[in-house]
Amino acid sequence: MRAWKVVVLLNLALAIGVGWGYLWWGQQARRLERDLAAARVAATTTGEREYHATGVVRAGLGDLGMLVLTHADIPGYMPAMTMGFRTASPKIVESVNVGDAVRFTLRGTPPNLAITAIEKTAP
Amino acid sequence: MESVTGLLARSLHLLSSILLVGGAATLLLAGPSDRSTARRWEAWIIRGCSACVLLALASALIAVAAQTTLLEGRPSAAFEPAALSRFLLQTQGGTVWLVRGGLLVLLGAFLAVRLEIRDRTDWRAARGELALLGLLALGLIAGASHAAAVEPGTAGAIAADVLHLAAGGVWAGGLLPLALLLRLAAREDGADARPYAVLTARRFSRAALAIVLVLIATGAWSAWLQVGGVAALLGTTHGRLLLAKLSVFAVMLALALINRRLIPRLSGEAAKIGRPAMRRLSRLVTGEAALAVIVIALVAAMSVTPPARHSEPTWPLAFRYSLDNLVAAPDLKGQVLIGSQVAVLGLVAVVASLLLPWLRLAVAMGGAAVLVGGLAVALPPLVSDAYPTTFQRPTTPYHATSIAEGRAVFAEHCAACHGARGAGDGPAAAALNPRPPDLRAHHVALHTAGDIFWWISHGKPPMPAFGGTLSVDARWNAVNYVRALSAADAAKLLGPMVQPDKPWLVAPDFAFAVGPTPPRALKDFRGRKIVLLVLYTLPASRPRLVQLAENQGLLATLDVEIVAVPTDAAPDAIARLGADPPIFFPVVTEGAREILDTYRMFAPAAHSELLVDRQGYLRAIATLGGDGTRDPNLLLAEVQQLNAEKAPPPPPAEHVH
Repeated sequence: MRAWKVVVLLNLALAIGVGWGYLWWGQQARRLERDLAAARVAATTTGEREYHATGVVRAGLGDLGMLVLTHADIPGYMPAMTMGFRTASPKIVESVNVGDAVRFTLRGTPPNLAITAIEKTAP
Repeated sequence: MESVTGLLARSLHLLSSILLVGGAATLLLAGPSDRSTARRWEAWIIRGCSACVLLALASALIAVAAQTTLLEGRPSAAFEPAALSRFLLQTQGGTVWLVRGGLLVLLGAFLAVRLEIRDRTDWRAARGELALLGLLALGLIAGASHAAAVEPGTAGAIAADVLHLAAGGVWAGGLLPLALLLRLAAREDGADARPYAVLTARRFSRAALAIVLVLIATGAWSAWLQVGGVAALLGTTHGRLLLAKLSVFAVMLALALINRRLIPRLSGEAAKIGRPAMRRLSRLVTGEAALAVIVIALVAAMSVTPPARHSEPTWPLAFRYSLDNLVAAPDLKGQVLIGSQVAVLGLVAVVASLLLPWLRLAVAMGGAAVLVGGLAVALPPLVSDAYPTTFQRPTTPYHATSIAEGRAVFAEHCAACHGARGAGDGPAAAALNPRPPDLRAHHVALHTAGDIFWWISHGKPPMPAFGGTLSVDARWNAVNYVRALSAADAAKLLGPMVQPDKPWLVAPDFAFAVGPTPPRALKDFRGRKIVLLVLYTLPASRPRLVQLAENQGLLATLDVEIVAVPTDAAPDAIARLGADPPIFFPVVTEGAREILDTYRMFAPAAHSELLVDRQGYLRAIATLGGDGTRDPNLLLAEVQQLNAEKAPPPPPAEHVH
């Protein structure tokens, strides 16, 4: 066969090889993206959820029925931060003092969560 | 560390890959010819390329086996299919070897097939494909090189490396084929190919000029990425290999310049001028190729040593040049300035002499003398003592924990002479000659952390050596403490007002936690927030804390994070602050001890507020007025000032310079 024809065929094969490799990687990336999207959907599915976390009481806002907590990471919901949470009953606010280290339970449909249980832990 | 076998295999592999590219590229440069000598030369090159493919594949196998051994940590792994496939399929380096191996096999098959070459199109296609496949196989090396590990800017680093490899392949690999062609043409029976050889030499010479420029530009860029400084260049294996490579490269360039001058003579009268010139050029080019082999071996060695930028340099000289000396002795500035200007003048004269049509030598010599004279005036004031560890970085970061541990080391081993606060007034100091210096003095900042580490390790009479008694980390901790002593003394210059655009005092890093939350570090805020570190003492600080709590929302919108540290380091600090008014900013319950140990050196008052900017510099230290409060507008003004600073200065280095 003429040399130039061989070269054209060879380069075609090379291009196909590179393209195939690219597609293979691309497919993998797409699959990962799909998995991620699925995970996101699973994370935001409606329905009641429950989270458990630890924290320290910073303030009790009894008249608002809220507790401000500096809390550790709440897996699947939010990273560690200081913020206010609604409480299911005023008793919960009254049962703790500022500075108490606590373990608490959040229940509800995100983002409408409220503290349903709280207990002091050893400091 | 790579085994000798592995290194040898890598060198051979690189050499054969480069010869492959060079052979194909030189053929393309020379173009097709129907003269019998030229065709004989071409046949030799093609056969050489086939041999190179075999050599490259064989050496690749050995190099892969050596690398697998290294990766698995046992010699037998080189013969285990499972271990080999793990390396080839699951690491980037292995995949690159695999793809390149595939390309080389393809190249070998392409060379083995008998091709029908009828016209110039066929010839160009065949030789061009050879060059293309060779360049692909060579350039892909960059995907498994140090360049592939550069972050950020990986693509740029790899592109520079690919260009460098390709340019090096065409030039260094083309030398031997060119020498061969010249030798064939210089023979009695090579007369038919002489015009062809002259044309090839001319084209090669012209291409080489451009290629050398590409080599220098891409090489300089890679050197900046991988080495990055004089200390790394002189003080690490990788840097020294680069120096050796550069010196051999310089000799090659000098040879190339001589060779360029021979080219016009090639086409001279055959018997007397042309043929002797060809023989001579052939010999010189072979010499250049021999030097290229050394360069290639050095490159292979560089590719298996950790990049200089990421190694700890061992400074080889007893001195260094430091512009910081001028800060300590400003009256020497004039001398350095004049000397450097004279030196530049001399340099200009030397460069200009190359362009002069006459008096070249005289001007060059004069220029060189002026250059040396200028340097002799400018450099002496910049000389500082240096030690092998001068440019090493602390193994422990400049962090409150390290400083606290350094303080304990200092109290036990150093305070007797240097004094509890490093003032040189310890009880044993009076008997010493020379007396211990004041470690807080400004000149201490002119020494690198590595200098101090060396003195602690090896002594500085009459100070004894502690290298045998203190661990490496303990010595570095002591260095960090001394640095903090000096910084704390300098911090007296900081007032409650921010000096615009003048960050100079690095705030030691620290870790803290609030209740059960995961620990955070001061460094986490770097580049994101301004931090107001409040060291408070109850009950005197209460009015101010109330004030800060009221302003927290406003401060948060201005990107300020308040971190409050109780000076009694009480674990129940939050409870003690009480419920009214509510305080929401972080109050440190864990890590307070270390923070106080370090930061009380900077701010000893019962209540102090230290303002740390986004780059991690300490910018202002404030205390309270008589009524235990501070006008909130003052703090807001300082914060506005920091927020208004336009070009944020680069973040301070992780360690001392």
